[in-house]
Amino acid sequence: MPYAVAVDIGGTFTDLVAYDRDNRRLVCTKSPTTYEDFVKGIVDCFEKADVPLAATDLVNHGTTLVINALLQRKGARTALVTTKGFRDVLEIARANRPDPFDLHYSRDEPLIPRDLRFEIDERINARGEIVRALDPADVRALATTIQAAGVQAVAIFLINSYANSAPESELAQQLRILLPDVYITCSTELTREWYEYERSGTVAANAYVGPEVDAYLRRLRDDLGTHGFRGALNLMGSNGGLLSVERARRQPVALVESGPVGGCIGAAAFAKALGLPNVIAFDMGGTTAKCAHVAQGSYAVETTYYVGGYTRGFPIRSSVIDIVEVGSGGGSIARVDAQGRLSVGPQSAGSTPGPVCYGRGGTQPTITDANLVLGRLNPRNFLGGEIDLDEDGAMRALELLGASLSYTGSDGAATVADGVIAIATLVMADAIKQISVKQGLDPRDFVLFCYGGGGPLHASSLARELSIPEIIIPPEPGNFSAVGMLISDARLDFATTFVRALDDGAPDAIRATIAQLEQEAFQAMAKDYPIENVVFERFAEMRYVGQRHNIKIGIDPSADARGLDAAFCDEYRRRYGHADPGAKAEIQALHVSAIVCTEHLPLSSMSVHQVETPELAPRKIHFGRYQGWQMAACYWRGALPVGFNAAGPAVIEEYGSTTLVWPGDTFEIGALREIRIRLGASQI
Amino acid sequence: MKDQATKVDPITLEVIRHGVVAIANQIDANITRTAFSPFIYEYKDYAVGLIDAQGRIVAQNTGGMPIFVADSVGMAAREGLRVYGADSMRHGDVILCNDPLVQGQHLNNVVMYTPVRIGERRERLIGFFAINMHWMDIGGSVPRSTDIFMEGLQLPTVKLWQEGRRNDDLYRLIARNSRFPTELLGDIEAQLAGCLLGRDLLADLADRYGVEDYEAAVDALLDQSEAASRARIAAMPAGEYTAHAMLDGDGESDTPLPITVRVRVHGSELTVDYSGLPPQVAGCINAGYFGGGLTTARVGFKYLMGSDEPANEGTFRPLKLILPPNTLLSGSPTAPIGNYNRSFPTVIDAVIRAFEHVLPQHVTGGHFGTFAVLRMQGRRLSGAHLDFIDGGYGGWGAGAGHDGSGPYRTMAHGDTRVVPIELQEALYPFMVEEFALRQDSGGAGEYRGGLGLLKSYRITEPLNIRVDFDRLRCPPWGVCGGKDAKSGWVTVHKSSGEVITLYKTKAHPVQPGDVICMEVGGGGGYGPPERRSRDLVSRDIARGYISKEAARSDYGFDG
Repeated sequence: MPYAVAVDIGGTFTDLVAYDRDNRRLVCTKSPTTYEDFVKGIVDCFEKADVPLAATDLVNHGTTLVINALLQRKGARTALVTTKGFRDVLEIARANRPDPFDLHYSRDEPLIPRDLRFEIDERINARGEIVRALDPADVRALATTIQAAGVQAVAIFLINSYANSAPESELAQQLRILLPDVYITCSTELTREWYEYERSGTVAANAYVGPEVDAYLRRLRDDLGTHGFRGALNLMGSNGGLLSVERARRQPVALVESGPVGGCIGAAAFAKALGLPNVIAFDMGGTTAKCAHVAQGSYAVETTYYVGGYTRGFPIRSSVIDIVEVGSGGGSIARVDAQGRLSVGPQSAGSTPGPVCYGRGGTQPTITDANLVLGRLNPRNFLGGEIDLDEDGAMRALELLGASLSYTGSDGAATVADGVIAIATLVMADAIKQISVKQGLDPRDFVLFCYGGGGPLHASSLARELSIPEIIIPPEPGNFSAVGMLISDARLDFATTFVRALDDGAPDAIRATIAQLEQEAFQAMAKDYPIENVVFERFAEMRYVGQRHNIKIGIDPSADARGLDAAFCDEYRRRYGHADPGAKAEIQALHVSAIVCTEHLPLSSMSVHQVETPELAPRKIHFGRYQGWQMAACYWRGALPVGFNAAGPAVIEEYGSTTLVWPGDTFEIGALREIRIRLGASQI
Repeated sequence: MKDQATKVDPITLEVIRHGVVAIANQIDANITRTAFSPFIYEYKDYAVGLIDAQGRIVAQNTGGMPIFVADSVGMAAREGLRVYGADSMRHGDVILCNDPLVQGQHLNNVVMYTPVRIGERRERLIGFFAINMHWMDIGGSVPRSTDIFMEGLQLPTVKLWQEGRRNDDLYRLIARNSRFPTELLGDIEAQLAGCLLGRDLLADLADRYGVEDYEAAVDALLDQSEAASRARIAAMPAGEYTAHAMLDGDGESDTPLPITVRVRVHGSELTVDYSGLPPQVAGCINAGYFGGGLTTARVGFKYLMGSDEPANEGTFRPLKLILPPNTLLSGSPTAPIGNYNRSFPTVIDAVIRAFEHVLPQHVTGGHFGTFAVLRMQGRRLSGAHLDFIDGGYGGWGAGAGHDGSGPYRTMAHGDTRVVPIELQEALYPFMVEEFALRQDSGGAGEYRGGLGLLKSYRITEPLNIRVDFDRLRCPPWGVCGGKDAKSGWVTVHKSSGEVITLYKTKAHPVQPGDVICMEVGGGGGYGPPERRSRDLVSRDIARGYISKEAARSDYGFDG
């Protein structure tokens, strides 16, 4: 079979990237996302790319289905079943007000309203002992009540089930028999960690999106099959690993960040292939920018994720690549308030009306308009010439903005446009600091790896702000998330709360628990993937006795207590600059990740989009307040051979993205056709 | 605007504005992660601030506790300037202050700050980097204290480090005066690391843009915040407005403490007049002028100004305060202040209430307004010492267009999260039987007040409980025609069948099998109840937010 394919359904576009094994080349296509029928959109993409499904043996699929259903509250009518006395855990949440001076603050409504939250008289204590057992008669009565409520899904959450999952499993099993047409899921199938609100929120979210994901995946497989597809279908999990369709149907909440992780995987693969120990993966699109830290070819995975943000959203306990997101994208709007203060984003002009220069009715200047005014975008070659940019409109909008700050004329427009970029750069640099400086890492040791439509355009400003000496722009930056999905392994994460001091007896207990988690992970993985080459990674969440915040460290289970303590102290010192070797450490949780390596797209085969090389002339580009306007060489990326090198000022254009090389910087086309930019000495 | 402020260009100004807040937030994140005591990591009982060389607050961490946002660090630095003079505050000095005369808050709130100096020989003082942190124990016998000398160690502007040298004597003194020296020293390390890193980051920022631009930017950003506040005040109808509230007692006696707040809007200035506060009390709920009076006025002001403006010295310039000495919130120098913040939720709420008819679109019904403390103390069967506080979470008031929210903690609190029950049950001798929204606790109205929390605990080992609730005599009020909410209390259901109601009690013994039931107050309603949509009344019945009886009596609803 010649084709391995990745399909990434995003908010605006559905991207398809196919690797043609016979000809060792990539085929890429984009088409507008079809909200009314995602499956049809996928099949259309195959046709547009001329990739026959019958000649495809692998489809890796990323989708925003889950996050959209959660954010737009478009999931199933769902009931919660919980221990007597605890139905309001989901609504009371952690009772905090993250926006302290908002008199009118309220959290988003819970996914399951109070009249659909049912209690059952049972109890487990903190040691996992059953204080009151489930009464089968109560379960039957409950099933009748649920039936009458007309729900499509049931979430089961019992207090202290982290310490003993048997009652939840038993309840789930009985309800599945009594309610065969209802989607039923329980908290300990998703997470074995304590904290009732986080665990109940996780299972509520899983139930809420379960029926839709279940139906979608069944239909997707059937429809692809109708078109001749007989190969393997995987889903892109938020943890950066692939999931089988069966697991995704049981655990849809694992798909919550299914889309953006693709880019991180791609960045990790490039980092490994190029031998780069420390990389910041940076993705800038139309409305937001995202970044993640890739160390030694792998990324950090967080176990708590806030759906809808920390301020008003709710947490789920599910492994998600540690991605920090800020509201800076090409469409972010620049404005001046009544006190003369300039700000950029997070409001976005989106794709409609979009930036002023799109000529679709937008009137507020955006980051894209600022880039156009500064000569950084080619108005005749935007998205391969698909959109003709309105330079005059962008200029007028920025002149108006400049005038409100007493900058006048076209010089004023350029000055304020440069200011808009400078402020956006600061916001994005803050996001990168969150994953570097705040964790004790020095950005000067990093390489900045940029993709997404806007990443390559802003890479140099960001690198300057953070003193990062080198930038890499991979091939196909505009489709890079889908590319990453072709490089992904299958991965499952298991975790359990494990509270004990790090004393001499601890290592044996850790080994026993890790072995048990590995066994569980192995069995789960064996259902879906060939397990000859399963690899385990083990982590412990640790802290000093008396602290609350844990740090997660990779552990070697054969280590003794002293070795574990040293590993913890080293990581602590690296993050916070100090450690207290005299203080006692304790363990809070253990994690095991099972990884099965699957076939990968060979990075060297990423030949760039073959389209006709357009005529490009040098043009004047504005390089910030200190260097101003300079004549810059203009290159078409597809025409640059491996080994090509030149100095800035320059701009490198391609379909869907533009790379800016500043005066004094140099660039080279690397062995994997990546653009490598080295910053010159001038740092501001 | 001053001439100086116009010198910095608008873009550099934005970059520096962004920079100062980002530094405070970066240090904030570091402290949360490295602190040892739950006061820090759970309550976020600290504030991070950048102060200029004159002692003006320039920027603070966002999302801090409201009562700190009123500038809990600037006056400590101003006191340092008075005590030492700017020239004697050297690079590498680290100074401590919990002076009741300066801060006027309990002695646990210790401000640590360090001068920020730039230039080749560190000759130029550009400001201070400061962190106010709740030290978990500093000795003393709060809440039994009757003067400041019973409340612990006083640190009236002293150097913990001097030009980079650690003052071991002072460390030893502090450790000896705390019941939990190990944990406290751990927190102090986090506070120190934060101060020093913050200092270096601020110096880098000023160096990068030049000290002239940096200082001009600071002037400009304070002036802009002042202008934003003035614009909002100028849009309010001028006049004098009054609100009344009441506290049930000072913890020592049951004598009620009536509270009258007058607010005057005149031009672009706003005066809070606290002449109607009760005199200083015998119980330790007094506070000082700065940490009590000015702080509550600023917090109330900030709630009215909205959450989008930064809290810096400029924001508060148009706010004036009238407050005679020796009142509840301007105690004498030796007044007991161990529980200095107990009156704050009610006083802050009264400031907001004064605007009921001035800003009807912005005010909300009163909130439950009390710390609602349930504290469990004693010796565990294992021999370990137990001291556990479970603060109450109550309902907030309804506003124009929305029901009240909650349960949350009070207006004096912020991003303060409940401790998970699964964690509590693993650590403490009880099992929780119910954790629920308290039916009918919110005030009726066109928009219903938020519900308080109902939480009951079955005790498994003998222990003592202390209860400190308030607002029984002055339940959370409704506004604009809305009804009052229910107050809160604690009942103990003995295994003998006896039921005891507790309200303010110093120590009450409970036995295994007893059930403690904490019922916290709700929030006041907004608008006349008869205007409430019948659909929402029946929804509230279906969800159990209100009972059928309440629907009938409050809303005349029989459906």
